[in-house]
Amino acid sequence: MNHGQQSGEAKHEDDAALTEFLASLMDYTPTIPDDLVEHYLAKSGFQCPDVRLIRLVAVATQKFVADVASDALQHCKARPAPVVKDKKQQKEKRLILTMEDLSKALREYGVNVKHPEYFADSPSTGMDPATREE
Amino acid sequence: MNGERAQEDPAASSSGCSESYEFSHAAAKAAVAQVCESVGYEHFKDPALESLAGFALQYILQLGKTAISFANLTGRSQCNVFDIILALEDLTGNDDGDGGVVSSESCSLGRSVKLKGIIDFVNSSEEIPFSQPLPRFPVAISKKKMMMIPSFVEIGETPPGNHIPLWLPAFPDPHTYKETPMWIERASDPRGDKIEQARQRRKAERALLSLQRKLVCKISSGTRVWGDMDGVKEDEGELLRSVSPSISGEKVESLNRDGLSVVEAFAPAMEAARDGFCSEVDTEWKKKKKPDALSKLRTEKKFLGEPLDLSLKMKGEDRPLSFVRDEDRDDKRRRAEFILRQCMENPVDLNQL
Repeated sequence: MNHGQQSGEAKHEDDAALTEFLASLMDYTPTIPDDLVEHYLAKSGFQCPDVRLIRLVAVATQKFVADVASDALQHCKARPAPVVKDKKQQKEKRLILTMEDLSKALREYGVNVKHPEYFADSPSTGMDPATREE
Repeated sequence: MNGERAQEDPAASSSGCSESYEFSHAAAKAAVAQVCESVGYEHFKDPALESLAGFALQYILQLGKTAISFANLTGRSQCNVFDIILALEDLTGNDDGDGGVVSSESCSLGRSVKLKGIIDFVNSSEEIPFSQPLPRFPVAISKKKMMMIPSFVEIGETPPGNHIPLWLPAFPDPHTYKETPMWIERASDPRGDKIEQARQRRKAERALLSLQRKLVCKISSGTRVWGDMDGVKEDEGELLRSVSPSISGEKVESLNRDGLSVVEAFAPAMEAARDGFCSEVDTEWKKKKKPDALSKLRTEKKFLGEPLDLSLKMKGEDRPLSFVRDEDRDDKRRRAEFILRQCMENPVDLNQL
């Protein structure tokens, strides 16, 4: 009974926190506009007149993109800097979002966007991937 | 801090078939680029940005799909917050290591890792609103071919039949598919018609008078020209009934054939006076008639110049006051009857013409 009561109390707290969070969502404007999110949700069959839920989805998507982008940024920074030819001019590393960094970052999320190799790059191109790894 | 952003020209961007897809995709690219910029990126490569935008959209679609399926499982058609939380958990997997097991408690705040992460994100991250003002989605194409037919409810019509629900598009108006005979409305101009009638009567009268003039010339030579009253009396009855201008023309012809008779000449005037048909025209006409008749009896030469003057008078169209007109009408009627009686007493022989 105590356990049940405790879980009940916890639930109430959770609910309160949830409502508070949803209310706070109205103050926070996500980067992805509400109209766009609503349009795509409608495409998948999601129908809800509540703006807070739309915002919740927008925020979730924003978080996802931010996570992926930050991972890609880590990969980009981790790459060794290019050789400086001119001593006077030290080139700062240009942080460019490339397909390579993105594919590495997305791999952790279970998405494979690996760019297929050019046929003439290496002698092992086009061969069976299992044998290639060996 | 704007780097090498991809051109957000919808025409150049994707291979989307519909216009709304291109627009939404371009908007998504802009939003994703803004998020990446907030993370720390300065420049973007176009394929990378496009694919990331595609992933973000796929994320939204998957989230929506999963959420609605959770709602349908419990027998609801609209989603609520718990459906979304469950979908979030389902999409990314619990970090507890259950391997995709979604328990009933995981939708609460305490258990949901994802939700906690989102809350932290909201609290920690900077608010970056979308840079461009976005118009209402999806954009309604205002071309005539895409115009939406309003439903019965929107128009406020009741569908013709109980089996047709109100939310269906309304039927087209009957005038679009039914052809009914058109009533060609001719503008009726009673005043114009009366004027036309009077004009034609005047014409007939003029012809009559010219004929009389010729006869008078012959009378002045000594012979009596008035026609045989007895012979004409039978026609008189028929003629008195008809007042139209076309028949007055015929009267002139009949007179030419049978001979001139004062009764016939006065027949239209008598008929009009009896019916009270046309007020102004008839009074003017009688004014005309009276001096002609009197002049005929007094002197045979007097009425030669009068038709012209009278026609001019008609064009002027004086409108006497109504009470004066009534008195005049009575007066004229009496005089006309007097003249008629006199003529009846003196039979005229036209056979001598």
